[in-house]
Amino acid sequence: MPEIRITNLKKAFGDLVAIDDLTIDVKDGEYLTILGPTGAGKTTLLRLIAGLAEQTSGSIFIDGECVDDLPPERRKVAFLSQTYSLFPHMNVWENTTFGPIARGWDPEQVEIIGREMLEMVHLYDRKDAYPGELSGGMQQRNALARALSADAKILLLDEPLRALDARLRLDLRYELKQLSKDMGMTTIHVTHDQEEALTISDRILVLRDGKVIQSGTPKEIFNKPAIPFIHHFVGEANFISGKLQEVDDEYSTIVDDDGHKYRTQKTDLKPGSRVVAGIKTEFTLMTKEKWESEEINNFTGSIERILFLGRFSDFEIKLGNGEIVHARLPGYQANKFDGGDKVNIPYSPQRMLVFPEPEGGIKKALEMV
Amino acid sequence: MTLSEKISDFISQKKVIKGWYALVIIFFIMLVIVPTLFVLTYAFTGWDEIQETVMKAPPEIQYTDVDLNFHNVSIIHSPDIIDVTDPYSLEVRYNMERDTSLNYTVYLMDDEEREIEFQDEFIVNGTGTVWFNASANDTHNHFHHVGEGFQTLVVSNVTWTPEIWEEEVVLRSGSRLPWDMVKDALIVSFVIATIVTIIDFTAGLPMAWLMVRKDFRGKKYIDTLIDMPLAIPTAALGFSTAMFWAVTPGLNPYGSLSLTSSPFILVILLHIVFSYPYMVRSLSAILHEIDINYETAASTLGAPPLTVARTITLPLFRAGLVTGIILCFARSLSETGGTMAALAMMTPSLGELAYPMKTGPTLIGAWKHAGGFEPHLAFTAMILVIITLILLVIIKIVIMKFKMPLRKVFPGPERLLSKGVFPKLKDGLSFLFMFLVLLIPSFFIFSFVLTGDPSPVDWGGFWGAMRFSFLVAGVITVINLIFGVPLAIYIVRGTNKIMTNILDILVNVPLIVPTSALGISLGMFWGSMDLGMTTLLVISAHLAFTFPLVVRNVAGAMEELDPTYEETARTLGAKPMFVFRKIVFPSIKFSVLAGAIMAFTRSLGETGATLAVVKEANTVPVYIVGLVKSGDYYPAALACIALIFISFITMMAMRYMTKKAGDN
Repeated sequence: MPEIRITNLKKAFGDLVAIDDLTIDVKDGEYLTILGPTGAGKTTLLRLIAGLAEQTSGSIFIDGECVDDLPPERRKVAFLSQTYSLFPHMNVWENTTFGPIARGWDPEQVEIIGREMLEMVHLYDRKDAYPGELSGGMQQRNALARALSADAKILLLDEPLRALDARLRLDLRYELKQLSKDMGMTTIHVTHDQEEALTISDRILVLRDGKVIQSGTPKEIFNKPAIPFIHHFVGEANFISGKLQEVDDEYSTIVDDDGHKYRTQKTDLKPGSRVVAGIKTEFTLMTKEKWESEEINNFTGSIERILFLGRFSDFEIKLGNGEIVHARLPGYQANKFDGGDKVNIPYSPQRMLVFPEPEGGIKKALEMV
Repeated sequence: MTLSEKISDFISQKKVIKGWYALVIIFFIMLVIVPTLFVLTYAFTGWDEIQETVMKAPPEIQYTDVDLNFHNVSIIHSPDIIDVTDPYSLEVRYNMERDTSLNYTVYLMDDEEREIEFQDEFIVNGTGTVWFNASANDTHNHFHHVGEGFQTLVVSNVTWTPEIWEEEVVLRSGSRLPWDMVKDALIVSFVIATIVTIIDFTAGLPMAWLMVRKDFRGKKYIDTLIDMPLAIPTAALGFSTAMFWAVTPGLNPYGSLSLTSSPFILVILLHIVFSYPYMVRSLSAILHEIDINYETAASTLGAPPLTVARTITLPLFRAGLVTGIILCFARSLSETGGTMAALAMMTPSLGELAYPMKTGPTLIGAWKHAGGFEPHLAFTAMILVIITLILLVIIKIVIMKFKMPLRKVFPGPERLLSKGVFPKLKDGLSFLFMFLVLLIPSFFIFSFVLTGDPSPVDWGGFWGAMRFSFLVAGVITVINLIFGVPLAIYIVRGTNKIMTNILDILVNVPLIVPTSALGISLGMFWGSMDLGMTTLLVISAHLAFTFPLVVRNVAGAMEELDPTYEETARTLGAKPMFVFRKIVFPSIKFSVLAGAIMAFTRSLGETGATLAVVKEANTVPVYIVGLVKSGDYYPAALACIALIFISFITMMAMRYMTKKAGDN
């Protein structure tokens, strides 16, 4: 069964540690997304699995077999780069049958598998075309057919949608997942696009500085982020920091350094400890009227800037103390506001997630690299 | 499993690949780099010798071992140096008991034949000294044809009447130190290289601009014409250029301008011919890369064309400038055959060492040919290598760091110069320069063959030389491919970045070191092992300076090739050898071919390195230079044309192949 087990994997380039003591299990047939900012070590991880780079320490098992000493051609993984790396001097047929021919299969078998795979991805009638003559979607399907006919059971996708234009990117997301599922492959998909990760994954692994910082279903990652960084990275968030004053059955209360009080989700953290609380921007509401409870979770500010995004608009609101809060409103609501408007911002306590205050402050914890 | 699959499997093993790369690197270090730089060790091993022979005037050499039993005594003496531009003297001390007739004949020796140049007779008695004096002017006037072997001064036919006779011959060479000759030659070389580079840049920049930024009818023909001089071996260029421009005693072909009798100007004109194409090519390559949108943006902001070019494009251009300057400078510094031919044309009555002007490489050639100048040669080569390497670094640093004084804008004059007649004048002058300085002198040789007086040609000698040249060029091309392609792949794809960076720098070394210095160094290296095979020596010298051409071409193509293709192929189940055959090679084959043909033609046209490793080598350019020196102009011209024709076919083949690459 094409399952992958990675134990204590480490890769260093000189002093720079790209992968730091990583242990991961990928189940048979799973569609796993590795999400992380640039420089998190995502591509390095894929290259280690494919055998294109050598780890400093640790082991990789595919189907229970240790592949540490196997060259790439014997690992039965297919590595697809951003551009699919379809060989430009070969046509669809030659690309598709590259693997079987490289492995020295006999011509009849090559003929059969090539045809089967191309028919599966509906490209058999284009078998004489060169990659340059194919649309982005066809290229993707050709690359998948090529990977499959090479007997690969594991698909490693390095930002496979990055090179496409926006509209096509949305369409191909689903096609990609559907094909890999239909063919029963185990897939590891690397991306830095959180929306992409949320929409197609069975499971997401958030990687930062070569370490896994959270693993879970898209919903878990979105709703229960493990640390402020993920809360911010997967959908933008506004943060406050202060001291946890009390925790009751429903809510927690936090007092910030200026004496403002906030009501947030309840937490297991000890009262008296330093904490941060964050709310995603799409849950950050704005009203022109005063909110009912005036002292708690309520700020006044003026709209500094509006970023019109079509279906949404992003607002930047400057509070009385000079801080900037971001809010994302759907189009029909956004229309009600103009630059310079005085607005009230009520934070919904259920949407305020509490974390222990990271070392070095919240700003540093949110930095991408 | 077939045999070829088994072999492919065997080669694809990790250990075998690592071993192969190690072998390639060792080959490169041991057969290219170490021999090229070996001459530097001479500073340590031969310092005393340098002090003795090069820095100091040669001591008086006394000859007392005359065999008295013979009536005809030959004292064959190879003095360390005779520079006939300075006075020298021959002193004979004698101690006689009665009247004695001393009859001297001074011969100037060619290799085969002696030519009597001076005879005198003295009647002497008692103890005393007689002198034979000659000064530079005397020499030139008196010795009509010096030939090549002026270094061998023969005093013979010493006849005398008495039975008891004692004599000493003291030969004093010129008063100049060999060091002065080296210094003068090197200064000439560097001054010429600098002037040539400046002219190349000044004339090449507008031409590169025209070729890249403008469209006009016949552009592709001009494009081909610019490369023409590269297809002609420099020995032929030197011959042709000298006939066209210079006053050439003993030959006045129809149509010759006979404008200059200064060897300095002639050599500059010659060097421009073969270095200009490099400058135009380097500059236009980088100009292609520069986004025209920058220029458009500047124009829309109100800058006249000249200001745009000067303030926007030029500063973006440094990389191309460095390449162009280094290529032109190195080529000029290195050129031997053409310069020798041109100098021989101007002063046909003199031996090489008597030419009024010498460049570094021609001095090396002359000394090597004369024989017995090993310390001088090593010293000259060493200095050349050191200065070139330092200069390379300086040029790189200066051009990359130096802020061109381009910030200031002169709206009035620049607007004026950008309009009306001036741009047309600039374009017109560019074409005029190309035709007058490049093309007509290059091909003047054809007009000479048509209008000159035919004389018989020794085709046997020519084809013999041709066979040898092709043998050498063929062998080095094959070896270059076998070792150069893997090295290029290693430099681009290797994982040990320190190693690949060092190799990347080292590969350029044989490209910029003057080939004659390289030849001397190589000769010292292999000579110290005493293999003694001249053919092998010539091959290894040609290997060293052509190797970078293959590596650079292939490395350039490898850099363009996205490594993910190879990686993807590996994960699809292909072994390294299969990946090379099916993925890498199809993508780089035209660069491999281009590198191979460049190496082949460079080897075919090279004179300096050949003459520096062996005294007598029978390659075509050497053969042509020899004909020119001995005044056999007509056969030389025919040989040149035959060589041009063959080189040209090769060049066209290359163009055809690379063009096909572009179509795919």
